Amino acid sequence: MKRPTRIDAEEKLVLTANCLLDGHIVWLDQEGRWCSSIAHAAMFEPDTIDAALEKAKAHAQLDEVVGIYDVVVRPGPPLRPVSVRENIRAFGPTVHPQFSKEIER
Amino acid sequence: MNAPVGHYQYDSVDRAFLQSRIDEFADQVARRIDGSLTEDEFKPLRLMNGLYLQLHAYMLRIAVPYGILDARQMRKLSSIARRYDRDYGHFTTRQNLQFNWIKLEDTPAILRELAEVDMHAIQTSGNCIRNVTSDEFAGAAADELVDPRVHAEILRQWSTLHPEFTFLPRKFKIAISGSPHDRVAARFHDIGILTRPGPNGPLFRIFVGGGMGRTPLVGQEIFDSVREEELLATLEAILRVYNAHGRRDNIYKARIKILVQALGIDAYREAVQAELSQMDLARYRLTPEIVEAIRARFAVPNLHAPDNASEIFLADQKRDRKFARWVQSNTHLHRAPGHIIAVVSIKPAGGIPGDATSEQMSRLADLAEQYSFGELRVTHLQNIVLGHVRQDKLYALWQELEKIDLAAPNHSLIGDIIACPGLDYCSLANSRSIPIAQKLSARFANADLQSEIGKLSINISGCINACGHHHAGNIGLLGVDKRGEEFFQITLGGRADEKAAIGSILGASLPEDEMVDAIARIVDRYLAIRGPGESFLDTLSRLGDAPFKEAAYEIA
Repeated sequence: MKRPTRIDAEEKLVLTANCLLDGHIVWLDQEGRWCSSIAHAAMFEPDTIDAALEKAKAHAQLDEVVGIYDVVVRPGPPLRPVSVRENIRAFGPTVHPQFSKEIER
Repeated sequence: MNAPVGHYQYDSVDRAFLQSRIDEFADQVARRIDGSLTEDEFKPLRLMNGLYLQLHAYMLRIAVPYGILDARQMRKLSSIARRYDRDYGHFTTRQNLQFNWIKLEDTPAILRELAEVDMHAIQTSGNCIRNVTSDEFAGAAADELVDPRVHAEILRQWSTLHPEFTFLPRKFKIAISGSPHDRVAARFHDIGILTRPGPNGPLFRIFVGGGMGRTPLVGQEIFDSVREEELLATLEAILRVYNAHGRRDNIYKARIKILVQALGIDAYREAVQAELSQMDLARYRLTPEIVEAIRARFAVPNLHAPDNASEIFLADQKRDRKFARWVQSNTHLHRAPGHIIAVVSIKPAGGIPGDATSEQMSRLADLAEQYSFGELRVTHLQNIVLGHVRQDKLYALWQELEKIDLAAPNHSLIGDIIACPGLDYCSLANSRSIPIAQKLSARFANADLQSEIGKLSINISGCINACGHHHAGNIGLLGVDKRGEEFFQITLGGRADEKAAIGSILGASLPEDEMVDAIARIVDRYLAIRGPGESFLDTLSRLGDAPFKEAAYEIA
């Protein structure tokens, strides 16, 4: 059973996953495509996230993604996850600046 | 046979097995990509081949049995780092190597390349017996009683794809040493083995139920003197009792340490003896012939040094103070005259503990060939050891290490920090470990200061799973995430040697940006109050943690 997500007022939810082939982190955008930048992620309210999650999971193999789950974000700008973990996923490891997401793009 | 020094030489059976295993995994990868296998079906299969899905990419953990590599293997790791990863690898506290940026579709090709040099990633994950670890100075140290590598290899062969122990309640870690000075953290393993000579062959003292994680426990002695011929039967029986009675209902209570704690060591021993009494012991008998056949697949280095090797060595130290300081911290006495063991620190000031670039790996392979019979050892402290260096050649080796930024004189000193990958790479972590390690090693970069502080270990874990062994650090740091902010809990007094102890929590956790100053105040307080010749642990033992608590929580 999915663990309830703690979410404060003003915070939203986005969907994330890893690419099946290379494991890289992706975010679900407004058009239902998986993109590499959290800046383009579609934001959901708590009452709509479960349906979005279920729909994304149903298409996971076709979309070549794995491990889909929701992440609490502060809308910003810039849009940023609440937890340290998800910030590092979104923007890259802090100890290898050359691998940061910004540089990759 | 042109066997490598230090590790077992594969034969055609070993190589054929690896090829068939890679073919099997290549097929599983293809079926995962085409959707024939779901992620739930594929996950246990990839884990059995050392492939994790971590925070940013797939991570491949490659086994380095008992921590020993030869130069061609190190060169292959360097080449894989360059071709398939991001030009570096990470040496782990289990004497393995991890690549952090692997593509799923590349893994069969990587495994085929590894097999070319008799390497693989089998049993580096999953609920099985993991890579057996051993003393980084094995077969070389002056203080060693028995070279543990032959028995480590026997344990590797016994445990690899063992049909009964492929699906244990939880992962299982074994370490073996043949020195009275415990350099393998034997008492913090599921099974820790210390071997010594007996009147009719080696005897094995066995500890069981040690471990870290959320329930840290020091292992307890289950048998004092197991004979060589009974070693495998005894281990088999210990594992069988665990496999039958270990908890499978709760992942946090599934390790053998919980079962040993629940039953008590005496009841566990009785259960093992009952199991032994009904086993076909002849089947498990480790005969002298078997041991010798394995031993024959290890080459013996020709340890001949010129008579004046020690004189040259002393003169080199006298001439170059910087070299002398490195010798003081980063070498260990060798059993053979005119030789010495060199510890190559993979912990440059401000660097990432355990990370080595492909260029450094390649150069280390060259240096191993030039100075140490082509042999390298990965240590559980995340360093590299060249085990058999001639004393008159050590100065030249050190100069080469300086050129590739691997000559930090900090082995066992405060700069020799153990840190797990933490939240920068690990999907289980709650906080980052590496940045704190980098900041601390930069803060204490001064070699004179490190020397003045003396032996002091700092271990950092990014979560309660304790991969940075924080419970065993003289100073341990455990990271926690408090809703977007990293905090660290400090423990003092841990040690992993023959006096193994779990560190005690000092007090409330501190924010990440206050940690380095807090540790520096603890160290300053130690320097101010220590008695003559007292180590950090000695002072802590004499005065308790009150002075250090006062220092750590002092308001700046």
